[in-house]
Amino acid sequence: MSFVLVALFVVMVALIAGILGTLASIFLVEEQVAQVDELRVVPELAIGVSLVVMAVIFAVSFFKIASLGSDGARVAQSLGAEEVTEDTQNPFKKRYLNIIDEMSIAAGLPRPRAFVVKHEQGINAFAAGGSPEKAAIGVTHGALVKLNREELAGVVAHEMAHIANLDTRLNVRLMGMVFGLVALYTIGRVVLRSAALSRGGSRDNRGAAPMLAIGIAMVVLGSLGVLGGRILQSAVSRKREYLADATGVQFTRNPQGLANALKKIGATAAGSHVENGHAEEARHMFFAQATGSFVGLFSTHPPLDQRIRALDPRFDPKSDPIYTKDDKQILRETRHELVGPWG
Amino acid sequence: MELIIVLLVIVALVVFVVVLYNNLVRLRNAYINAFAQVDVQLKRRHDLIPQLVETVKGYMKHERETLEAVIQARNQAEQIRQAVGNAVGDPKAMAQLGQAEGALGGMLGRLFALSEAYPDLKASANFMQFQEELTSTENRVAYARQAYNDAGMSYNNAVQSVPSNFVASTFGFREVGMLEFEDREAIQQAPKVSFS
Repeated sequence: MSFVLVALFVVMVALIAGILGTLASIFLVEEQVAQVDELRVVPELAIGVSLVVMAVIFAVSFFKIASLGSDGARVAQSLGAEEVTEDTQNPFKKRYLNIIDEMSIAAGLPRPRAFVVKHEQGINAFAAGGSPEKAAIGVTHGALVKLNREELAGVVAHEMAHIANLDTRLNVRLMGMVFGLVALYTIGRVVLRSAALSRGGSRDNRGAAPMLAIGIAMVVLGSLGVLGGRILQSAVSRKREYLADATGVQFTRNPQGLANALKKIGATAAGSHVENGHAEEARHMFFAQATGSFVGLFSTHPPLDQRIRALDPRFDPKSDPIYTKDDKQILRETRHELVGPWG
Repeated sequence: MELIIVLLVIVALVVFVVVLYNNLVRLRNAYINAFAQVDVQLKRRHDLIPQLVETVKGYMKHERETLEAVIQARNQAEQIRQAVGNAVGDPKAMAQLGQAEGALGGMLGRLFALSEAYPDLKASANFMQFQEELTSTENRVAYARQAYNDAGMSYNNAVQSVPSNFVASTFGFREVGMLEFEDREAIQQAPKVSFS
């Protein structure tokens, strides 16, 4: 899985670099020998430029992967999450910590660090970290107060499944690869701007025209690459979500908990939406669709009703007792369950 | 020439036995490790119960017998847990432990069923905290037991199947017992509250 992806990425980068190299050799040489009628590709130059472009993209990707690092806690903090510690007095957080402990026993993995993303009303969660030893799990405030015990256990088990299946490591790699292509686009824009500036400054600067063309090519290819990378990333993510649902149920042996959690996402107004600005970058890491479109090529998660139906084949959105509840009812019920009628 | 062939066959056989033996050792360590986790969680369960009884005593004045029975079941289970430490996997010890824990689970189920009749107790923050702690502990015990039984089954498969069963019987690898809690039905049953 991971290997095929890396291979695809390398092919894509090689293709982009090859095109750029060829273009560069055409434009730069044409400028130097303007009297020659036909355009000629100089192989040495084309290959040289291609190699440099490839090296830059790979270097940036590796740098990004290294800086994202294997430490899940850092990723959690970059999403604005706060760590929950053992001494918490909040009953919701205490229960959450207990559930994390239980799931780490069920998965046979070390206990990941626990985080809560405050102020987020949507029901969502994420897992991060390059290895099970450095993993972190986070849930939104909405998930903490809107889900009951077995539902939250279903969600945490799903995240634990991502850690067990090493999806978190794959995610970091995918993020790094896409970032390498974003870098190409950014450099292209800088080239474009400087070319435009030098042209505006002195009229007879003949070096500007080819620079402009190369800049445009970098921007176009860079954005096409990012587009392709995003489609790849989303497709992988959608597949891994089904797997994590299945593995999670294997941990809890209770498909109803996870199914009901997904139903509550469908029932509440905020759904699974995450407001945090960094969520865009990490949207494939979440439990359910955090931002962007909910169907199509760029959605990182399968449609909600399909995930529910995989767990509960008799699910009917119109008459389901949980799917048709409203926010107030859900909040009241979970609160009542945990802190009692007078709490 | 023949001597070399004979030697090669002997070496191949020895390597084969070593591989099978090492696999058995690996599987045995896996279930022993899994049982250590079960032990930790059972200890947690047993430590929690006296506190729970202390908390509910003030409210459930008419249930002294039940509370005493809970404590007794807990003490017996704790005794067996400590004894089993030296006989991990022994089918008899596992059955004994399973029975004691099952009985304790049944008593706890009855205690919580009775608590339905004491609204003051049910509304107290302390009791709700205990309910969460106990739920969590029961889940931990269940998951740890699952892991132990899975590891035990893999080990038993190796001990029973050809060809590793020959190595197992030669070097004294015995089958392990699964950990099943009897009385599970008693916990699952809905509480019967009668007002007559």
